[in-house]
Amino acid sequence: MLSTLYAVLFYFATILLVVGTGLKIRKYARTPAPLKIPTTPAPTTRSGVWLRMFREVVFFESLFKANKWIWLFGYLFHFGLLLVLLRHFRYFTQPVWFWVEIIQPFGVYASFAMVIGLAGLWARRFLVERIRYISAPSDHLMLVLLLAIGLSGMGMKFVAKTDIVAVKIFFQGLMRFQINDLPTDPLLLIHLGLVASLMIIFPISKLLHAPGLFFSPSRNQVDNPREQRHLAPWAAKLEKGGR
Amino acid sequence: MAAYEVNGTTVEHDEEGYITNLSEWSKELAEIIAKAEEVDMNEEHWEVVNFLRDYYEEYQIAPAVRVLIKAVKKTMGPEKGSNKYMYELFPYGPAKQACKIAGLPKPTGCI
Amino acid sequence: MAPLDDAKPTTVTDVRGPDGHPLDIPRLACGAMADLQSFPAHVKHNERLGYPGELIDDWKEVAIAKIGELADKNRAFQVYLDACVKCGACTDKCHYFLGTGDPKNMPVARQDLLRSVYRRYYTFAGKHFPWLVGARDLTREVLDDWYNYYHQCSQCRRCSVFCPYGIDTAEISMAAREILDTVGKGQKYCNEIIGKVLDTGNNLGLQEKALRATLESLEEDIEEDTGVSVRIPLDEKGADILLIAPSADFFAEPHIEGLIGYAKVFHQAGVSWTVSSYASEAANFGLFIGSYENMREVSLRIRKAAQDLGVKRIVFGECGHAWRVGYSFLNTLAGPFDFLDQNFPIPQHILEFTHGMLERGELNIDKSRNDHIRLTFHDSCNVARGSRMGDMPGGQFEIPRAVLRAVCNNYFDMDRDTIMESTVCCGGGGGLLTDELLDLRTKGASPRMKAMQQVTEDHGVTHLAAICAICKTQFAKVMPKFGYDMDSILSVHQLVSNAIILDGQETNNTSAAED
Ligand code: SF4
Ligand code: SF4
Ligand code: SF4
Repeated sequence: MLSTLYAVLFYFATILLVVGTGLKIRKYARTPAPLKIPTTPAPTTRSGVWLRMFREVVFFESLFKANKWIWLFGYLFHFGLLLVLLRHFRYFTQPVWFWVEIIQPFGVYASFAMVIGLAGLWARRFLVERIRYISAPSDHLMLVLLLAIGLSGMGMKFVAKTDIVAVKIFFQGLMRFQINDLPTDPLLLIHLGLVASLMIIFPISKLLHAPGLFFSPSRNQVDNPREQRHLAPWAAKLEKGGR
Repeated sequence: MAAYEVNGTTVEHDEEGYITNLSEWSKELAEIIAKAEEVDMNEEHWEVVNFLRDYYEEYQIAPAVRVLIKAVKKTMGPEKGSNKYMYELFPYGPAKQACKIAGLPKPTGCI
Repeated sequence: MAPLDDAKPTTVTDVRGPDGHPLDIPRLACGAMADLQSFPAHVKHNERLGYPGELIDDWKEVAIAKIGELADKNRAFQVYLDACVKCGACTDKCHYFLGTGDPKNMPVARQDLLRSVYRRYYTFAGKHFPWLVGARDLTREVLDDWYNYYHQCSQCRRCSVFCPYGIDTAEISMAAREILDTVGKGQKYCNEIIGKVLDTGNNLGLQEKALRATLESLEEDIEEDTGVSVRIPLDEKGADILLIAPSADFFAEPHIEGLIGYAKVFHQAGVSWTVSSYASEAANFGLFIGSYENMREVSLRIRKAAQDLGVKRIVFGECGHAWRVGYSFLNTLAGPFDFLDQNFPIPQHILEFTHGMLERGELNIDKSRNDHIRLTFHDSCNVARGSRMGDMPGGQFEIPRAVLRAVCNNYFDMDRDTIMESTVCCGGGGGLLTDELLDLRTKGASPRMKAMQQVTEDHGVTHLAAICAICKTQFAKVMPKFGYDMDSILSVHQLVSNAIILDGQETNNTSAAED
């Protein structure tokens, strides 16, 4: 019964995540950028833009320039999350991919980085009056959600171990449209429930910053307006109206 | 819309004190606007105001500050032909404050 | 925790004392600038631009629909509304926040004024759980808040440099102003001026006859000064270069000294050039109100002037927002410029032109003529963060400095965090250069002025050079409040003009150092 419920939940969450985010990405991709607005100095070539994006994604370059504390906590969280996520591939692959094996030991410590980062970010929402001012309830809740996911996951690793083999069988089953038994210890159920909610919220929340970054005209445009004429389709129609 | 009171008649002005109908200007009105601006009109002020009005009559716009200064230099002497002196006469700037008193429209733009 | 309806205004207004680092962060002063309202446009100003004369009855529906329309037409608007994570990195980056302490002048809070409404009507969470995500209905108070606070943004893009997603509050401000215009709530300063450009070709309303008289007067002045006859041609068909200068260069100080500088450089270059009375304005206030259509209309005048006069090149004068529109948008708005000489950048900045001549050693310069000046340079925001000069990214920083160093012996940069891509706005850009906003302009200028005070203390700097008409006017107005003379602000080409020795110019060395 519970296994079925979670199975349905995860199918539902996955569909919402993929379709919802896909639709948003389609909207971003289809909405024209009428003018060239890269924040300069900006790269003058496509490859330069890729490099700029790479620095933003991998090092959070702009954030580093802006505020070292937010950068530090943000980086700890995101980098930790990345390693933790990659580590989770071991529950979906059989045999486990070799690079997942390699990062396995780091993934465990990464969870600490992730939780520390989140705690730091949350603390700033209370301690820094400017950030307190701009925080809506959802901004707090988002951090709480992520923290709870992290802590419940760590709880299973370090405190009340769950039957991880059974969990793996459950998820591998889902990938083949079979529903196997899911262990019922509370930490696991909480963990999985929260993860599913996160997946559901993703396309309707500020988590859209992840795809958004790649579509941000101030970052992804090439600085070459004098050399190459840039024209949005709706603007081209204006021209047909005669000048 | 607010208005100045001159000898019993009212002369409308915009939110910044520039009169809206330029033909309603008179010397008395200039004194009244000047008073509102806390400018005490003396001969030199009048010299500037008259020049502005003549210039406007011909060109439909106030003169460039530099052109004004050049004219002042000619009539009032070189020591008075400076931007600084203009600001002594009209602390809020010759272009804007003096135009207001002279009954010209406010010069607009990045100035 | 209800960020958008803050408590009653607290009293703190002057949050910045005279001392301290230029970028010191003030305490929040909620509501400090809530009542600052720039004059609304008159009916005729709005209607001239095709907007309703005054607030329409169904403003609410129209405004909400306009948000949706803009989100469909402009990717930046759509992405920026969605992507902000409220990280707070931008909160201390706006000079108006630094100067006023009003939290709604923090870039993210400024965006939220509109984002909260977008969320309410266009997102799932905002439709069903408004309290959770800070979404709110569009009410008259919200509309008024938009008007007041979107006219406290100079669209300088400083916040976009530091946001991890490049969210540019300027884009949101422009969109907000377009929405306000659409419902009949335009701003007088911008809309009156755009109307003047459409009617007379420039922001001032300067007719051809007056322009000609001014230019002739300047020719006289140059000849009197140098003994050389330098022309400032107007409407000369067949000239090689069309100069597009901000109309302030025909009117105000120190702008006009810059125009004299351009004329001298062109004279020495031996090129034929002309000003156009039809397109006698570089500035394009269509940018400020976020109106593609108005911006295009104004830009097309430049195209038409270039075609009518049969020029081969277009060169822009010293003008910040104008250069952004010129460099980044002109090709889009009024291109393609296939009828111009493709061997030169289209358009070219006057500094690119002058820099080229200096590099080739084609200008005879006597730097000592600027020895009475100890100089620093204000990077105008829209040049710094919205355009480029030369071939390399960052040329917009290097080229002006190279020119200044070539004509002046004593040059010093201000604090690195306040220049180049991090430059702090003069406080008067983006349609705020109007008298009723002077309080805001002064407070917004304080970070820049403090950075200048630092170099005055450390290096005895006396003067500030700028390449934007608005910056120059703004500084002339606010510098006296920070202990400088109003003529401490100089045009870059004024310094060039001081130092240049024209062929055949009488140089008697004793009077040479006068400016
Ligand atoms: S820096 Fe960007 S993401 Fe962070 S709060 Fe500001 S606008 Fe939002
Ligand atoms: S664009 Fe400039 S003025 Fe506007 S919010 Fe950003 S920093 Fe402030
Ligand atoms: S000064 Fe600034 S706004 Fe005025 S024209 Fe030049 S750039 Fe534009």
